[in-house]
Amino acid sequence: MNRRLMALSKYVAFARLSATHGRYDRSELYGRMAFFVVILGVFSSLWRATREAGLAIAADPKSLVWYLASTEWILLSAPLMHVDIQETLRRGDVAYELGRPVSYVGATFARGLGFVASRSPLLAATAFLCAFAFTGWVPPWRALAAVVLFGSIAIALLTALHLAIGLVAFWIGEVTPVFWVWQKLLFVFGGLMLPIRLYPPVMQRLAALTPFPDILAGPASFVLDGEAVAARVLVVRLAMWCVATTALVQWMYARARRALTVNGG
Amino acid sequence: MHPRRNSIRFAAALLATNLKASLMLRGAFAMQVIFMALNNFTFFVFWWVLMRRVPEIRGWRLTDIELLFGIVAVAVGLAITVAGGVRYLGQFIEQGELDTLLVQPPPVLLHAVGMRSQSSGFGDMVSGLILIALSGQVSWIDTPRVVVAIVAAALVFAASGILFFSVAFWLGKSDTVARQMWELVITFSLYPEPLFGGVLRLVLFTLIPAAWVGYMPAHIARHASADQLLLLTSAAAGYLVLAAVMFQRGLRRYASGSRFGVFG
Amino acid sequence: MPDNPAVELQELTKSFRVRRATGRGIAARLRDVVAPQTHAVVAVDRLSFSVRAGERVAFIGPNGAGKSTTLKILAGILHPDAGTVRVLGLVPSLERYALAFRIGTVFGQRSQLWYQLPPRDTFALLGRVYEIDATEHRRRIDMLVALFELAPLVDTPVRQLSLGERMRCEIAASLLHAPQLLFLDEPTIGLDVSAKATIRELLRTESDRQGVTLLLTSHDTGDIERVCDRVIVIHRGRLLWDGTLADLRRSYLTAKRITLWTEAERIDVGKPGVRVISSHSYRTELEVDADVTSLGSVVDAALRQSVIRDLTVEDAPLDVVIRAMYADADARGES
Repeated sequence: MNRRLMALSKYVAFARLSATHGRYDRSELYGRMAFFVVILGVFSSLWRATREAGLAIAADPKSLVWYLASTEWILLSAPLMHVDIQETLRRGDVAYELGRPVSYVGATFARGLGFVASRSPLLAATAFLCAFAFTGWVPPWRALAAVVLFGSIAIALLTALHLAIGLVAFWIGEVTPVFWVWQKLLFVFGGLMLPIRLYPPVMQRLAALTPFPDILAGPASFVLDGEAVAARVLVVRLAMWCVATTALVQWMYARARRALTVNGG
Repeated sequence: MHPRRNSIRFAAALLATNLKASLMLRGAFAMQVIFMALNNFTFFVFWWVLMRRVPEIRGWRLTDIELLFGIVAVAVGLAITVAGGVRYLGQFIEQGELDTLLVQPPPVLLHAVGMRSQSSGFGDMVSGLILIALSGQVSWIDTPRVVVAIVAAALVFAASGILFFSVAFWLGKSDTVARQMWELVITFSLYPEPLFGGVLRLVLFTLIPAAWVGYMPAHIARHASADQLLLLTSAAAGYLVLAAVMFQRGLRRYASGSRFGVFG
Repeated sequence: MPDNPAVELQELTKSFRVRRATGRGIAARLRDVVAPQTHAVVAVDRLSFSVRAGERVAFIGPNGAGKSTTLKILAGILHPDAGTVRVLGLVPSLERYALAFRIGTVFGQRSQLWYQLPPRDTFALLGRVYEIDATEHRRRIDMLVALFELAPLVDTPVRQLSLGERMRCEIAASLLHAPQLLFLDEPTIGLDVSAKATIRELLRTESDRQGVTLLLTSHDTGDIERVCDRVIVIHRGRLLWDGTLADLRRSYLTAKRITLWTEAERIDVGKPGVRVISSHSYRTELEVDADVTSLGSVVDAALRQSVIRDLTVEDAPLDVVIRAMYADADARGES
């Protein structure tokens, strides 16, 4: 039991270091915050215009803006782990990293979480403040709490998935195009800008087969009026995806190590 | 010696060399093109889904969005293919890479922006042309007018990048902010302008020239207006001149060595 | 016909404003952005010298001594604060365009060859950069390829070339437009011994053949010794020494290094002006100040203690000479 605690404390240390480091790279954070202002402003205008067009899209413009704020918060909180891994591989630091008495993926994931811890609260504050500024309305606190709770799990899941994409770099080096495709699929099937329930049925069915809606649309849907995605279902699905991702990452990592030792890096 | 003619030949040679370098790695080139095209189409999916339910928003229909997207994509693609170095201008300035250019005859700005080319620009151009075709709003007679409008839009886009990244001459370490400002030009240009209120609209015609990159050329494509085309091309010329002047000023500062503590 | 110098500097002066961080904490950092505290650092202080056409000059100085600044001013990259500069009869800060056609540069750490393409493509582009007539351009490429033995390399992508092969192509590229003056910054950095030798040989021969003036900076004393005839030492922006290498050694450091292989296990030559560098079994290295004690007397003293199997006498290595020079200048308070 002691050894486990010891191991855990190592990862915590990585997380804390990453969190402090995150405090120093401010310019990127400010850029993200400015982006929130712009995108929420544009969309609040868009949803109002849509309402004007007279045709109901089964959702109130104000809550749609909060919906977008939530999905964007989740999306922007997850660090781009694949870039770190790609860089480490390119620089050849990998041998050094693998040699440490710490699981490389564990450490990287911990670093990612530390990074999240330092940015996510600020991003949430910005997102929700902007949403309030543009709509003059705040969702019921229970809804917001649900968004934050499920959103946090979603962010962790997304971070782990970014890590998995990064691991692909062990085989093909340049994973940026892979990431782009992944990200676009996430935008579309995760309902980044438009709640999934407004999609054509065929697309909704497709989306349900992927983790995407559970990462973005699910947690964000609590701010929409009407029936939110059943919390119980979301919990189960998120848990399922978390388990699956952990298994995937472990398996990929084992194979990556073998690929590395066989090819000599 | 005809400096201007030589500059044109040099620029052409630079572009040709860039293209050759991009094509050396066929696989990587193809991936960049395909994925950028995919990137643009998925972005467009949102509008497609939305407009199935709400066919018209403040006078804009799906075909109008297609046209707007298509034009912006081609303009941006053109800019980053031909003047791919704009994106790296801040880096060049901060890391002293302009030194190598200052020792050579060609005009430094031209050389700097032409030194790189992003293959993904071809993906932008291809997807843009497809979207324009899909919109069905451009007929063969319209083509010359639309081409001019797109080129002007590309020039405005490139010039705005030069302006943002040139701030590095004075402030250093401004690369991240400059890049985000430049990306804002694209972001804003992709949304129909009826969404924007008075003050914002003014900003989009000046500080963040998204209106010249998206709205104006799209408008010119839809309504054959010679006046608007003239206005757009004048704006493009204006931005270019501004960019060149700012860069020259910055270069003078660079040559005075005012970059903090860089000496040896 | 008057001998116009290739490079001429008179009282060249250049200072920089350096920003200082006034302290930590948000207040201090905000202050630093709005009203930065700067102080002037003199990088080049009334430097004067001239270089004849065809000379090969090495610039030595530690980092921060002002040698890079001087070379950048000569190349037209930086503008001086005061003094006159003339390179090939032109004023660099005013006639950058004209000067650019007549000078070439080789940066050891930065490449001007396009990484993905064969050198030939860079050569072609350079033809357009320097507006070289097509036939002349082809002729020069062929000549340089033959001279530098680049035939197997010139059509291979640069990323597949070794560092030594790449440097040969770099130097050829820098000579394509037949410059009269070549600036070289660490040209042999990272190269193995034989590659270094090749590069040095190429530089010397090309300079001899075409009368190209070479201005070289390097931390590798081999570069300096094998390529250059003249050494300019810059310290804190001032000229510390200007002369030939031999003169430098002779007048600055009169020490010689003697290595003795002896039959006796250890010897002790305790004469004034003799410093023991290292003492091993059967081998002793001594540094002898020839001003204080003659070499002959040192050898005599050694012979009295043991039979000498072998003996070498060398000049002190250049970096020792330079370091002694700096130490001396600092001690004298030249700042």
